[in-house]
Amino acid sequence: MRQFELTCLQGVPTREIHGELHTGVGQEAISAAMVGFLTKEDALCSTHRNHLHAIAKGVDMRAMLAEIFEKSTGLCGGYGGHMHLFDSDLKFSATGIVGAGVPVALGHAYGAQLKQNNAVAVAVVGDGAVNTGAFHEAMNMAGAMKLPLIVLVENNEWAISVPFSAASATETIAERAPSWAAHGVRVDGLDVEQVVDAFSNAVQRGRAGQGPSIIEAMCYRFRGHFEGDADLYRSTEEKERRRAADPIERIKATLIERSLATAAELDGIELSISNSMAEMLASVRSDPSPNAADARRYVFVN
Amino acid sequence: MSRNLNLSQCISESLHLEMERDPKVIVIGEDVGAQGGVFGATRGLQKKFGSQRVVDTPISESAITGMGVGLALEGFRPVLEIMFVDFIGVCLDQVYNAIAKNHYMSGGRIRMPIVIKTAGGCIGSGAQHSQCLWGLFAHLPGLKVVAPSNPYDAKGLLASAVESDDPVIFIEHKGLLLKRAEDFTFGGEVPAERYTVPIGEAKILRDGRDLTLITLSGTVAPAVLAAEAVAKSRIDVEVLDLRSVVPLDMVTVIESVRKTGRVLVVDEDYLSFGLSGEVITRLVEAGVALKSVKRLAVPDVPIPGAVTLERAVVPNADSIEATILEMVDKR
Repeated sequence: MRQFELTCLQGVPTREIHGELHTGVGQEAISAAMVGFLTKEDALCSTHRNHLHAIAKGVDMRAMLAEIFEKSTGLCGGYGGHMHLFDSDLKFSATGIVGAGVPVALGHAYGAQLKQNNAVAVAVVGDGAVNTGAFHEAMNMAGAMKLPLIVLVENNEWAISVPFSAASATETIAERAPSWAAHGVRVDGLDVEQVVDAFSNAVQRGRAGQGPSIIEAMCYRFRGHFEGDADLYRSTEEKERRRAADPIERIKATLIERSLATAAELDGIELSISNSMAEMLASVRSDPSPNAADARRYVFVN
Repeated sequence: MSRNLNLSQCISESLHLEMERDPKVIVIGEDVGAQGGVFGATRGLQKKFGSQRVVDTPISESAITGMGVGLALEGFRPVLEIMFVDFIGVCLDQVYNAIAKNHYMSGGRIRMPIVIKTAGGCIGSGAQHSQCLWGLFAHLPGLKVVAPSNPYDAKGLLASAVESDDPVIFIEHKGLLLKRAEDFTFGGEVPAERYTVPIGEAKILRDGRDLTLITLSGTVAPAVLAAEAVAKSRIDVEVLDLRSVVPLDMVTVIESVRKTGRVLVVDEDYLSFGLSGEVITRLVEAGVALKSVKRLAVPDVPIPGAVTLERAVVPNADSIEATILEMVDKR
């Protein structure tokens, strides 16, 4: 996941990605924790910072990278761009509008209830989204209808330049859960094991018909809100201190400490991923751009 | 012989037939279930199809519209009711950023077969409950927009909207919903069985040689009345009911205006940046020779409360007749 984001970053200075790019560097443990819990029938509705969530849902990484690099071979043929990734087979969608994915996940959750297929619907949002009306409306309906909705909040403490502490009436998001008859928990989002426990519990609750859950995973956005963000709202001291708490270094240390892997093995894995991402990028770069004559396609089906 | 129905019953009949035909059709909105809609347009649906397929919701339009997106992604065909079109402001995000764009943003890979059924039009309820707003929806790419003027078209256009793979904004006129079918001078004969009226096809309700009067929804009946009134002055008006705003049936419009050379667009929506300007611009772009052009629409003011003020800004048979007389001099 880290390597995927680092690969995306290469397209910014070259203008291969000609608009905004939002990466989730530093927030990987949260997406990694979802891996393995979701089936094809479970939906995941994501945000503007969506790459890691898509990877967790199993979306094809090459197609994603091609979409982000504005190629016709992209996941959406180049019509979406990096903020708007869709994979209908995997029930993965993203929106660039903060908070707007939660009502969409609500619809998936109601679909699961209608189909009685035991599926859950996950909305991943940032801490900025929890103060939108859409978030409240969807949480309330999910509680009222006892729907299998899981809202995973990546609380990186900053909604662009406004700190969460200044934006929220409550100290935590998790403590708001009872007002929607939901289960709420706050975890350390840098600790993949804590997130795994919380996520696994929320999925179980959803599948058992016990209603919605909110998981508030505390984390830190290592880079600016978008590539090019001057990021002057956070002090250099804060950024340096918080970046030192890297979730990937943390899990590596845990694996070594428990003798599940050696440092050399982990370095080897990292190198091999880095090499395969370099190959993927080289291959994507040789793909064609979408044809300008096709810009008016797909407004309507008929 | 007309059946003993009002327009809202024709809409409910259409929904009954669509829900019987396709188990994926689900109706969601405020007061659509037990009450059967504030205008009765969803009456009997919950009793027949159950509360899972006919869902009464809290007053949460963002959740309703977002839910529609999620359900469409799950393979359902949601019919979402936004009680009054004026309320779209609280949930326009899902409508224009998701429902309208998801097909495009996915490069054609996903579809949004969603109907947003909503009531517009002026019935004396002031600025926040009297708007039409079809021009607003039409401006946003990716939405089909229909606004029927009579029971026959309402039933058939709704069937087309529900079976459409594209999102359709279906705007009822509040002044017509409770009007009895037999009181319509056109479109009052409604078959009991299912039929469709194609989206994007205008209908000529009255042939004429002197002027083409283009309108839709609640101003069609006053337009026909005005056309009949000026016939006494030997002015021969062709009345064209657009029925759909998107797609706009310019083939029928151009053919009619080529014949008459005069065009009057009557629009109960706001004047500027809207339907009337769009129709006329497209006529000009098509190179149609125009002897006389006028627009009669709400003159860029909110709909006022008092009836004297309201009548001053909302087109009616008298103001339509006066405008026609300004355009065609047969003395």
